[in-house]
Amino acid sequence: MLALDNIHVNYGAIVALRGVSLNVRENELVALIGANGAGKSTALSTIAGVLKPAGGTIIFQGESIAGLAPEKIIRRGIAMIPETREIFSGLTVMENLLLGGYIRKDTVEFKRDLERMIDLFPILGERLNQAADTLSGGEQQQLAIARALMSHPKLLMLDEPSLGLAPTLVNHVFKLVARLHAEGMTILLVEQNVNQTLKICDRVYLLKMGQVAAQGLPENLREHVDVESVYLGDRIDAQ
Amino acid sequence: MSFGSFLQFLIDTLSLGSLYALMALGMVIVYGILRLVNFAYGEYIMVAGYTLFLLSQSPVPWLIMALLSVLAAVGASYLTERVAFRPVREQTVTAMLITSFAVSTLYQNAALLFISPRAKLVPLPDIFSKSIVFAGLVVPLRNILAIIVTFALLGFFALLLKRTIIGIALRAAADKFTMTRMLGIPANLVIGAAFAIHGLLAGVVALFWFGRIGSVTPGIGLAPLLVAFIATVIGGMRSLLGAVVGGYVLALINVAFNNLLTQNFLEYRDAFTFSLVILILLLRPEGLVRAR
Amino acid sequence: MKDKPASTATRSHIITLLILLLPLIIIAAVTKLIGNVLFERVVITLFINLILVLGLQAFMGNSGILSFAHIGFMGIGAYASVLFSMAPQMKKLALPDLPLWLGHLQLPFLPSILIGAIIAALIAAVVSFPLMRLSDASAVITSFALLVVIHTILVHWKTVTNGPQTLFGVDRYTHLETSMCWAFIFIALAYWFKESSIGLQLRASRDEREAASTIGVNIILVRWQGFILSAFMAGLGGGLWAHFITSFSPKAFWLKETFVILSMLVIGGPNSVSGAVVGALLVTGAFEGLRGLENQINIAQILPVQLIGLTEIVLSLTMIVILIKRPLGIMGGREFR
Ligand SMILES: Nc1ncnc2c1ncn2[C@@H]1O[C@H](COP(=O)(O)OP(=O)(O)OP(=O)(O)O)[C@@H](O)[C@H]1O
Ligand SMILES: [Mg+2]
Repeated sequence: MLALDNIHVNYGAIVALRGVSLNVRENELVALIGANGAGKSTALSTIAGVLKPAGGTIIFQGESIAGLAPEKIIRRGIAMIPETREIFSGLTVMENLLLGGYIRKDTVEFKRDLERMIDLFPILGERLNQAADTLSGGEQQQLAIARALMSHPKLLMLDEPSLGLAPTLVNHVFKLVARLHAEGMTILLVEQNVNQTLKICDRVYLLKMGQVAAQGLPENLREHVDVESVYLGDRIDAQ
Repeated sequence: MSFGSFLQFLIDTLSLGSLYALMALGMVIVYGILRLVNFAYGEYIMVAGYTLFLLSQSPVPWLIMALLSVLAAVGASYLTERVAFRPVREQTVTAMLITSFAVSTLYQNAALLFISPRAKLVPLPDIFSKSIVFAGLVVPLRNILAIIVTFALLGFFALLLKRTIIGIALRAAADKFTMTRMLGIPANLVIGAAFAIHGLLAGVVALFWFGRIGSVTPGIGLAPLLVAFIATVIGGMRSLLGAVVGGYVLALINVAFNNLLTQNFLEYRDAFTFSLVILILLLRPEGLVRAR
Repeated sequence: MKDKPASTATRSHIITLLILLLPLIIIAAVTKLIGNVLFERVVITLFINLILVLGLQAFMGNSGILSFAHIGFMGIGAYASVLFSMAPQMKKLALPDLPLWLGHLQLPFLPSILIGAIIAALIAAVVSFPLMRLSDASAVITSFALLVVIHTILVHWKTVTNGPQTLFGVDRYTHLETSMCWAFIFIALAYWFKESSIGLQLRASRDEREAASTIGVNIILVRWQGFILSAFMAGLGGGLWAHFITSFSPKAFWLKETFVILSMLVIGGPNSVSGAVVGALLVTGAFEGLRGLENQINIAQILPVQLIGLTEIVLSLTMIVILIKRPLGIMGGREFR
């Protein structure tokens, strides 16, 4: 469904991705893990069209999307939830969701989608007319996910959805991702929470200093990771 | 302070503040999205002024002239965006700022070359020169009109920003522009709408600005530009409501200065207000008024 | 081992400076040969413009921050230097309200313009330090506000500036040789600053803000140093200009002049000294040429109306096209080598 081939990305003189290749198949949950600064967020932003690759190709459903504007890419069916969530803070929860469904432009459908979101995230239903920046961190994360789902994406990209959440909420987020996956959504997940990620994903890519250092099934990578990466090993031991 | 002079003070502040508020709002609506303080903003007022002047010989009623001149300001604003700002948008903010300074110079000198360096009279409706006597005060009708039109316009924009999808998108873009694009809202649509509003507000301000001074010159845009700068900074640069409040606060300061300061100090008023601008930007980068 | 690259680097710096100076020497020599007063005035204007552009380059080019205050410091340098160089008898006429000690004082030309420049630099040092935190639009608004403040003070401080009226009776000291020498000194100074460790850090902060602060660049400090140097150069340029034009008013230090100097830097290319030189040469040439044409047409009354503003229109259009098509200016950030 999605295939990155030899993608290079720079921030000015800083090289963030040096030849990353990865692919995500239909209905797969693929995880992208790696240390801080490895280039995970950069990879997602590049797919979403926020950053322009300096080289390489990105194919989505058989068409090249590298270098397209973000507003074009979401219309192809790729939604991203950034690491910083990017909730519109002056807007209400409802307005955030409304913009999430911007590309669909169908009021009947919007009502249906909204009900589905309230079903998935009951807490948002109670806060529809509340300013989004008054939500708690966990609620904001739920809103960010709900907003992305409003566009009916074919591929959902989540950048560290468990970041800064309390353990129970972390579990909640992982359950949610697993549920979306079970319902058939294709997902590219960036996470630092390696243990839980490896439990739910189909395949894993390990990113190191802007390159794919390892890839494969979760169980294979777990062994690889234990020997190779102190950082990831620490995380796994700690849990 | 007697009731009469208080009322006078209030009306002066409100009518001046209304113009300032509209100016600041127009400035912030673009700044919020592009981080551009548009130096050419005052020139849209000039464009509206010259449109009025050029129409003054024609037989059309004043309201139509006014409408056309507001449209001319909208057109100038939108055109500038398409031709000058859009191609440099992906570059640094500094490049955009320099571009806007160059555009401002271009407009001013085009007016010098194609129209005249001398002041030109702007046609005004009779109602602008009438006054009403109220509680012992003589109040120019145009001041009352400025307040009413501003409140109506602010109400209209409040509705637009709250109730329409493009309005909500504008507010969202002013907060997190890239994220709105990631939701599929086209950058050009949002920015185009912002510049149209930018020009519209300048055009409406122009009607009342010329109502006060009566004539238009190529350099007319500087004073309102400075006003927009200060009011925007007071209001916090990023908040639309803050901009409106900043406009009224600036008017309050100015009217108070005019009433309190002696001539000697009044000469340095700009130096005071702009030192204040620097201080505010340093101490409270989000502005004096924390509002959204 | 380290010696060799250093010496080739030095040689390439020297070559760059020679390439920059040579055309200016030729222009000055030709001017002397022709001996036409009008042409000489144009060439002196060129050298003074060059000094002002180099001053702007030192800060804006290296830091990437647009500063509107520059021409304000030119104004401070102009007025301050005149206060010291003017003859006491003249001061009685032009600035009768000066405090006695200043009214009686007269210094030679060189110390006067140096004092003017130092005053500009000192004022810059005091007011700008807290401003150096700001970038982008906030930096522009504060520097613009600073220009307004300086301008307002120049316009209203009648005791030392003669207020909005023209200050007259300044002696003409700035000649071709003087202005050329200062232009040369400042080309070398601007170049040295750009290549110095401060300049290097400043450029790093311009190109990679985050990276520069992580490698330990004190951005505020290096910006401040650049700003002070820039104000010094502007102040000296102002002093030279004042003693060239001999009568002027605060209007000279306002948005028009800002636009002209800024257009030179933008068109030539802000990121290199060569860009500043090329911009000053081209724009001064075009500006004076177009102005001359405008005047000719107006004098001959070829057109039914006065032709005003054409020069600025051409300049601003050029500037916009350059910004769109070649954001780094003609020189594209490179030096001549
Ligand atoms: N806007 C930027 N400007 C310059 N460098 C950047 C920028 N954003 C990221 N980088 C650099 O690019 C590299 C990759 O960053 P990225 O954010 O993709 O890492 P990440 O894997 O998502 O890390 P984390 O786990 O901390 O979120 C880092 O070295 C980072 O410093
Ligand atoms: Mg990240």
